[in-house]
Amino acid sequence: MFRDRRESDLSEELQLHLERETERLQATGLSREEARLQARRLFGGVEQIKEEARDARGTGAWDALVRDARHGLRRLVRDWRFTTAAVLILGIAIGANTAIFSVVNAVLFRRQAFADPDRLVNIYQNDRAGKPMIVTSYSAYMEMAEYTDIFSGTMASSIPNPSRYLHDGTVRDAVVEYASATYLKVLGLQPSLGRWFDETEVRRGAPLVAVLGYQSWARLFRSDPSVIGRVIRMEGVAVTIIGVGPANHRGTLDVGLGTDFWLPITAVPVMIPVAALRDAPTIFVPLFVKARLREGVTVPQARAAMDVLGRRLAAENPDQFGNRGEFAIGPGITVVPSSDVRIHPQADVPFMALASLVLVIVGLVLAIACSNLATLLLVRGAARAKEVSVRLAMGATRRQLVRHLLIESLLLSLAGGIVGCVLAWWGMRALQAIDLPFRVDMNVDYRVLAFAIMLSLVTGVVFGLAPAIKATRVDLLQTLRDEGLQPIDHRRLTLKNALIVVQVAISVLLLGGTSIFLQATAATKALRVGYAVDGVAMLETDWRFAGYSQSTAKTAHDDLLRRIEAIPGVESAALMSGLPMASTGMPIVVDSATGQPGSEVEAAMLEAGPGFFDTMRIPLLYGRVFDARDRADSPRVAVITEAMSRKYFGAVDAVGRRFRLQSDPNSWTEVIGIVRDTGTGDFEDDILDPIAPPYYRSYTQSGAQATTVLARTSRDAASLVAAMQRELRAVDITLPVITAKTMAQRLEESQAVPAVAATFLAILAGLGLLLASIGLYAVVAFAVARRSREIGIRMALGARSQQVVSSIARGVAALIGVGTGIGLVLSVLLMLALRTSSGSADIGIGSMTVYRPSIDPLALLAIAAVTALVGVAAAFVPARRAARMHPLVALRHE
Amino acid sequence: MSDQTDVLQGTLDLLILRTIALAPMHGWAIAQRIQQISDDLLRVAQGSLYPALHRLEHQGWITADWGASENNRRARFYSLTKAGRKQLETEVAKWERLSAGVNLVLQRT
Repeated sequence: MFRDRRESDLSEELQLHLERETERLQATGLSREEARLQARRLFGGVEQIKEEARDARGTGAWDALVRDARHGLRRLVRDWRFTTAAVLILGIAIGANTAIFSVVNAVLFRRQAFADPDRLVNIYQNDRAGKPMIVTSYSAYMEMAEYTDIFSGTMASSIPNPSRYLHDGTVRDAVVEYASATYLKVLGLQPSLGRWFDETEVRRGAPLVAVLGYQSWARLFRSDPSVIGRVIRMEGVAVTIIGVGPANHRGTLDVGLGTDFWLPITAVPVMIPVAALRDAPTIFVPLFVKARLREGVTVPQARAAMDVLGRRLAAENPDQFGNRGEFAIGPGITVVPSSDVRIHPQADVPFMALASLVLVIVGLVLAIACSNLATLLLVRGAARAKEVSVRLAMGATRRQLVRHLLIESLLLSLAGGIVGCVLAWWGMRALQAIDLPFRVDMNVDYRVLAFAIMLSLVTGVVFGLAPAIKATRVDLLQTLRDEGLQPIDHRRLTLKNALIVVQVAISVLLLGGTSIFLQATAATKALRVGYAVDGVAMLETDWRFAGYSQSTAKTAHDDLLRRIEAIPGVESAALMSGLPMASTGMPIVVDSATGQPGSEVEAAMLEAGPGFFDTMRIPLLYGRVFDARDRADSPRVAVITEAMSRKYFGAVDAVGRRFRLQSDPNSWTEVIGIVRDTGTGDFEDDILDPIAPPYYRSYTQSGAQATTVLARTSRDAASLVAAMQRELRAVDITLPVITAKTMAQRLEESQAVPAVAATFLAILAGLGLLLASIGLYAVVAFAVARRSREIGIRMALGARSQQVVSSIARGVAALIGVGTGIGLVLSVLLMLALRTSSGSADIGIGSMTVYRPSIDPLALLAIAAVTALVGVAAAFVPARRAARMHPLVALRHE
Repeated sequence: MSDQTDVLQGTLDLLILRTIALAPMHGWAIAQRIQQISDDLLRVAQGSLYPALHRLEHQGWITADWGASENNRRARFYSLTKAGRKQLETEVAKWERLSAGVNLVLQRT
């Protein structure tokens, strides 16, 4: 308003001046019209004077800013090609940064809000080397909770467990934590609705209750308060919802994994579907333990008390502490302030290092994008040299021009930032749409937004300032006279060229990584399956969801099996627990047969039934398979794979030998048969990590519930799946179908992981190539723009356009060649490093296995060809412009 | 016309301040007045007059008020402020020193 009035005042003032001047001139004898024109001529440009008057008044930086912004916007819209390229580059880079940052933010930076966090400590049992283990046992937790003189409260919560529940007629996956009654109180939090479970509910045999996670309450139950008191079926068991967790508490670990339900620890034997754990005398669930120090108690005091406890536990339970091997518990106990731990003391450093590495890498991507953009701006600056000179000559100060150019680049970077946020948001949605058994909660919170905005502002200033300063540092006279023969830059080793080389090399390296995963995909496909796939179909249900008891379920599934066996074409059928080839890894103790304590190793268990090996066509090598003799009251028996026999028993035929579960000293199991090795349910694991060899137990003996019918037909497996579902409905219409597919489908799914990784890397490599080609384009365009005069002279002197193009092409070829070469060397080095590695990398709390690729020259050649092709295509456009340049135009071109 | 000299950039401020020290004046009148008093020797480049006026106003040496012009139109009349009077004195002193110096150089060489 105020500004508007001042503006009209100024117009009026100048208008008056012109009128008076006209009158004066008329008085000297001129006609009115002549006088008016003369007055105008004498006066000069009204608009320019207005602007100078405004500037003189210093009306403010704000007006100038708005004017510059408007002007900049107009220019950017006019140069829409440049603008699109720039915004796209920045959008991709800022988007990638924002997306990665939001993942890192979700996993590492979001801090939980606990009351009085300084008095909270984490407690871990140590392994035999004295390092804190991932988790603590239930019995040890119970002992820790006794130290009420040290701790005002002690709580335990399991690692997040996968579980299933029935909702709206379908069985869904959920993340469940099993917690103590003290959980929320020790953390100093309040349920947002209802209550937490009390001590009477954390007792074996007590009616099951659950507290719903706040996010899940909002997502699944639309924040309906009447959810309290509702009974849902989890793992088929009726569970009453008694409360909703705190709004700002996602779970114990809070690494982006939202907990859907909290259940009492004592629910574990009922809920965990592995029967062996159900039978164990103690509750076997790995726990995280946190405690609140009493007023006046220090961390060292708590440490001293826990030291005493650790030694006592070791002395009292020699059978638990005497074992050797990977999972052996040591006598030590670690106590650390909770604020010092993000995930786990052993995992934090490698996790942080990994996160920083990822951030640095995407930061590099941004840096490269910015350097490309700076080159583009330089090209533009060169093209605008004349405009800049004219404005300088007209009296614009350099500061005004730099400000003007800087505002333009800020506009660009803000647009890039917006595009980046949209891309990041879209990318995260795409990530979350991938069907995972859990939900990673990656919200764009204020930290992510602040990060993106800061990023775009900083890039705006950083990439805009240097070109702006350079563009305004022109030799006025020379540029205006258009006589300047700019010195030709013959240096090869410029920063811009180096950056292009780096970009090309990185893209090639990413392509190399993609080829490794493609190779892994091919390897999984080539792996020996070892069991029947054609004609095999499976149908999984869960009897408990329809209210069956152990014994009624037996009648029902035997009925189902008979019906399926009767389907025309079915050759063989069998019942099993879980899905075929999906095993559960568990620590076992192998009987050394020499009286020495056995060694602790990991094996993977499958719960099959009679007829399983026949249906799956897995050959028996020694001994026998399961039959009617194996009942709940007969001695525990197992059929093991030849790999397990060789690896853990050191014999081809281990029939008659024994092993037991580490969690249960009374679970000695006799080996009755050896079967041929097969691929497991997870083919990626078979290539990467074939460490835990599988063994089979019979569900008829282990007490597990048979959930799945497996059948082999001589006809089409897909139609068998449909027929099996019909039979299930005939048995009981209320039984939920959890899985119904053919073995071929399942096999394909298990091979999908490396393919997904390959796709992901290929997308990254594609982005890398896109950035590199834009960079290449910018550099070539810049060179052409700078050399247009030289090109013009050469063409005027008779050089052919081919010669001009070939001189440019030589430079481009050198850049692409060097970049590709470096990238290929790096790729080969990476492959060699993977090949010679032990096959596993220590990441602190375990090992991560890696695929050992072979070096495929054909793949490397293809990568080089693709890179060269893209590079040449990018350079082609500006080079063609140079070639088509008319000598006269080129010479006139500044 | 050929005898006219454009007012030097630095001296325009001085001339404006001196001119309106007698009575408030609007822009056109100031330019006319300078020309008249200098016997048409000095000519104010009209394009630089208004920026100069606005600059002086911004610096607080002159103020502007709306009033009626000779032809009965609304016009902005500029007058000196207290700070403007002081500024006029220093500008005059500066000018005298400068012209005396220039004269000496011209006479003695």
